[in-house]
Amino acid sequence: MSVTNDPVKNPEFPGSPRTSCRLLALTLAGIVSSLTMANAAEDTAETFDLAASGDAPEVFEIGSDIPEVLTTTRLRQPKSRVPGTTTIITGEMIRDLGIMNLVEVFRLVPGMTVNAVGSNQPVTSYHGTVHYEQRRLQVQVDGRTAYTPSLSDMDWNAMPVPLELIERIEVSRGPNSAAYGINAFLGTINIITRAPEDTVGVQLRAVSGSRGYRRAFGSVGDASEDYRWRLAYEKRKSDGFDEQEDDGKIYPFHNGYDMNTFNYDSNLTFNNSYDLDLRAGVVDGIDEEDARKNGKLGADENYDTLVDDYYVQTRLNVSLSERHFFHIQTSFQNYDRRQRFTICIPESEFSQILDPGSSTPELTPCGRDETDPFRANLNEDIEESRLEFELQDTILFNPDLKLVSGLGYREDTYRSETFFNGRGTNYQSRIFGNLEYSPFRWLTLNSGGNWEKTTTTDEGYFSPRLAANFILSDNHTLRFVYSRAVRTPDAFEQNPDWSYRPRNVPPPFTDAEGQRFLVADLVDPATSTYGKTLEEERITSREISYFGQYYLDSSTLSLEVRYFNDQLRDMISGIINEGEWTIDNNVALDQEGFEVEASLDFPGTKLRVTYAYLDQNGRYTGDDDRDAGDRQYAIDLLGRLSVRHSGSVAWIQDLPFDLTSSAAFYFADEFRRSQFERADFRLARRIFATGYSYELALTMQHYLSRDPTLSPSNIIRDHNQFFVEAGVRF
Amino acid sequence: MKAPEHLNIPAKPGSAATRWHLVILALFLFVSQSIQMAAAQSAGGSLVYLAGSENSALNRRMRSLLDDALGSTTVIRSFQPGQTSQDATTPVIALGPEAFTRVRQENRNVPILALLVDQTFIDGYAERSGGSVSGILYDPPLLRQALAGKVILPQATRVAMLARPDTVELYEPLTEKLPDHGLEGKIFVVTSDDRLIPTLIRALNYGDFILAAPDNNIYNPRTIKHILLTAYRRNRIVIGPSQPYVRAGSLASTYTPLTEIADLAADFIEQYRAGGQFPPPAYPDNFSIQLNLQVARSLNIPLPDRQEIVRSVEQRLAGPRESADE
Repeated sequence: MSVTNDPVKNPEFPGSPRTSCRLLALTLAGIVSSLTMANAAEDTAETFDLAASGDAPEVFEIGSDIPEVLTTTRLRQPKSRVPGTTTIITGEMIRDLGIMNLVEVFRLVPGMTVNAVGSNQPVTSYHGTVHYEQRRLQVQVDGRTAYTPSLSDMDWNAMPVPLELIERIEVSRGPNSAAYGINAFLGTINIITRAPEDTVGVQLRAVSGSRGYRRAFGSVGDASEDYRWRLAYEKRKSDGFDEQEDDGKIYPFHNGYDMNTFNYDSNLTFNNSYDLDLRAGVVDGIDEEDARKNGKLGADENYDTLVDDYYVQTRLNVSLSERHFFHIQTSFQNYDRRQRFTICIPESEFSQILDPGSSTPELTPCGRDETDPFRANLNEDIEESRLEFELQDTILFNPDLKLVSGLGYREDTYRSETFFNGRGTNYQSRIFGNLEYSPFRWLTLNSGGNWEKTTTTDEGYFSPRLAANFILSDNHTLRFVYSRAVRTPDAFEQNPDWSYRPRNVPPPFTDAEGQRFLVADLVDPATSTYGKTLEEERITSREISYFGQYYLDSSTLSLEVRYFNDQLRDMISGIINEGEWTIDNNVALDQEGFEVEASLDFPGTKLRVTYAYLDQNGRYTGDDDRDAGDRQYAIDLLGRLSVRHSGSVAWIQDLPFDLTSSAAFYFADEFRRSQFERADFRLARRIFATGYSYELALTMQHYLSRDPTLSPSNIIRDHNQFFVEAGVRF
Repeated sequence: MKAPEHLNIPAKPGSAATRWHLVILALFLFVSQSIQMAAAQSAGGSLVYLAGSENSALNRRMRSLLDDALGSTTVIRSFQPGQTSQDATTPVIALGPEAFTRVRQENRNVPILALLVDQTFIDGYAERSGGSVSGILYDPPLLRQALAGKVILPQATRVAMLARPDTVELYEPLTEKLPDHGLEGKIFVVTSDDRLIPTLIRALNYGDFILAAPDNNIYNPRTIKHILLTAYRRNRIVIGPSQPYVRAGSLASTYTPLTEIADLAADFIEQYRAGGQFPPPAYPDNFSIQLNLQVARSLNIPLPDRQEIVRSVEQRLAGPRESADE
């Protein structure tokens, strides 16, 4: 029953390429004709205030040898003209608030929630949905797609982004496929690391804290006229949660991690018009898996995922003129995960598995003196890679008309004996564009779209976005945004070929050595949708938002309020594991709510408040063969990361004696089991001496709500957690 | 200490024909000079000379402004090379440091009022001259600049300044005054060229904004790109060093309009005639501010109206205590 917006199937779809071309041509013609009437003089006066300097020495070309540096090419779009609500978290704020893990930054973003699943796998989402395999956000690091190729979820523990290197994180709230392609379904996270030029010199930092938290960071870099570079290393490790619960009993929890990241970032300038960014990085480490939590098929002991990732990225920036520039970016990323574990299945149960006539039994652990059990080594090794190419061109026809357009191509390859019985590749290509037009000083219109074709569904999709920004006065903007996006099922959702091949099998089951045990045969046949072709998920989103800035008495106030109304259709819900495979396009969600982000800057004091209200209504739209419980469960799964109320309060205060304090409060009300409430306090002393500066800090995290929020296993014994930091820069 | 020279006035070379005309004109002027002088003085008007810069458009504009400011009783004549041998008592108005030096080298006793010069340039001459040399200062006073930064970013408390070891003194008088206005300042010393960016990065970590003085050792056409881009990436603004840098991407700089300079110059000339001495070098009271609206918008800084900023800075300059108590 699913409706597609594939132009081949739906030629009347307004976004089909032919129509959209015609629309674009019409729009362009209209705009160009109106431009001739536009008053060009307004621009100079407005952008540079020359009118004011009629009697200034500068008019007489004094200082004319000083180059114009911050040209339109280099300036970011002001919030008043951005087609949608964006939250920007600066690296400085992240460090001032004493945030210890990258993923925790997102608690500062209205509407985003953060939690952990499995053996401490962090997850985050904007406007919720599922907790396991959260795959509905586009995440980019310096323009490089960061989610994993086969299932589009995020491995936040293994991100090659040391906190010290974050310049800022921009989160576009709401579907943004028009600019970022089909995974930008609920939102887009852009992590921007610091330019090599900005970290010249040496920086060192060490952090140590509760639950085995250790972090060491070092970077060195230099800048000359035409070459700027930085080498950085970070080690981060943690023991994870203290303990877990299973059937009412408490057990130790094997869920820590120990990661090493190396990054090289550089920028080469060839001349005024050409420069090249060159980046490379390696992540190497282990992520602990607890058998009780992640163990499959009778896994009988804890094991570790060995992480071995790398990436290379180049970006050539070319500015043909002050009004026309483009970049070509290519990147290759490789994600290698080695997971090997031993299993033990009691003889009687394994015999049932071998018998094609009987259903898969509920597996029980082997007893201590189990006689003739089935023992074997299994693996869930997977190596995934992504080759990405992007060309993006920007033309400023005049200060009021700007066209950004481009092409993208992506090749996602995955190799896994277990998950794909070999290797597979998906190809995606896209063409995108956005026209920004300000016909009047008080109005900016954005119309953008992305047409993308992917081999996971062998279909093409058009995702449009239209926005009107009414600039009520210089400091007040009202936006109306309409956008549509799709998320196509990923390789593993769509084309799994999942099986296990036992190795090192002792008697009496030596015959099983190397045999393929298909998950298709193991999953519950009554509910299995394994092998079913899935359709894309679709979202239609409407936004009305306000952004305003006010000068108050010796302070500035920024306020952004977003109202949204989203219709999500054909949402894929269900379970993906070796005993159950029930995912299907079976839920429709209607989401409505509002979000507030406000910051107030006083001398020496910074206050920031966020709040989000989300009303989620789901209904089952899948096949009729499910009972009411299963239907409700499918709906519930899509609400695991969705909470009705969430927000944060942050207060950063400068104190005498070079001290800075901060306090932050984060809440989410509520997850499945409990609300999340934590208060963080940090006191730092920062000394700027001649030639070097250093910082010492103490951070305390206080859990006001002590119950695990989502999984009963995520137990933190002490509700006060402490961290000490020392850093130096010269 | 090397005098900063941010007045960079481009030369306008004339064609061969123009040059030939100029030579004839110069000869004519030279011959008729003494006759004119006598004529002017006998007509009851007083005389000043104007030694121009190499920028003829600027010279013309200043001349007409000075004409207005000095009134019809004063006659302005162009300063001619060699004329001081005949007349070393009539005051000369020099436009810019080069014109000043040109006149000064010809005759050290001639009274000169220098316009479009920096405090660091003219102060020494003025002190030694016993009132026969003064200037109308052109570089924006640093306190005024700092307060403009405070008005634009009311939440700012920390001002970062970059200096070379030998230009630290530019900022020192200011750092003492900042606490009166609810600000504190720190000077980050750049010990060598290759320490500029690392020092800037530390300064950006400290300051809510960068306050730039006209210090050619730090801010020049070669370095400004790196400084402005680095600051912009950190969401930090630069105030100053002077108006031309605002076009480059500095957020704001106050400046003195030429009319104000001309008015105060007329005032100084009058005082010289009355008492035989110039007052010490000074800034005109009124000023304007140049803003880079595009950069402000991009950084999401809601700028007050230009006049409002100027008014607010004037208030703060007038009564530091009051504004600190606010």
